[in-house]
Amino acid sequence: METWGYVFLAYGIVWGALLLYLFSLKRRFRRAEMEVAELSSAEELQKHAQK
Amino acid sequence: MQTTVPKNRRGYLGALALILVIVGLYWGLIHAPPDAYQGNAQRIMYLHIPSILTAYLSFFLVFVGSCLYLWKREKRDDILAYSAAEIGVLFTALTIVEGSIWGKPTWGVWWTWDARLTLTAILLLIFVGYLMLRSLIEEESRAASAAAILGIIGFLDIPLIHMSVYWWRTLHQPPSILRPDKAPWDNIHPAMLTALAINFFAFVLLYFYLLSLRFRLGEMTEEIKTRRMDRGR
Repeated sequence: METWGYVFLAYGIVWGALLLYLFSLKRRFRRAEMEVAELSSAEELQKHAQK
Repeated sequence: MQTTVPKNRRGYLGALALILVIVGLYWGLIHAPPDAYQGNAQRIMYLHIPSILTAYLSFFLVFVGSCLYLWKREKRDDILAYSAAEIGVLFTALTIVEGSIWGKPTWGVWWTWDARLTLTAILLLIFVGYLMLRSLIEEESRAASAAAILGIIGFLDIPLIHMSVYWWRTLHQPPSILRPDKAPWDNIHPAMLTALAINFFAFVLLYFYLLSLRFRLGEMTEEIKTRRMDRGR
């Protein structure tokens, strides 16, 4: 393999892994945000029902 | 609980990191000249050095967060340590992979049991253990305390990694930038030094962007747990 091959392999793995981690983090983040919003609306409903 | 980095500021941080990453790729792959001895394989160093320094920064934050958690018992410090450990593991694993890919055309081997390489692999294993420990112990405060102790011990491996090239006969070369006898600009071509500096700042900005996201995720996870428990009562 030419040395450029090693360079592209390294850059590909690094940026691929970082993007993959970023996307998985964003997905976990959105799921948690949705869960917080659901809990908030459920608590609001509970408060209204108690009134 | 409140996030330390507001959402819009996090967006600016991400955008700035992206710009620097693109500039860093241009300098590292196109603008900087090839090395006289290593040829183009040396361009891997524009990833390798920034990623290990980012990993060190991350484990330093694990150390700080762990010490503060053991002292004050505040959940925020534990979330900081946990978040930094997760990202630190990623950067350490990438450092080992980059080093291995650079090692093949330069040393002729993918891996060798050199002191610095072995100590870096141990650092990775310690922090993989840190992440596993958190899921193995059910009681949260016990898991956080045990992980904090391991986080502090793990951080102590970093000075050993740094000094290993001086203390033992290693295949890994001594530092080119942090040399006590020479200024970096006397040792490296200015275009190479600039490429390295840009990529280092790009990695640091990207790191803080990832950390702010991961930290906020940790805060939200904690909030969900607390609110669910309150609803259950």
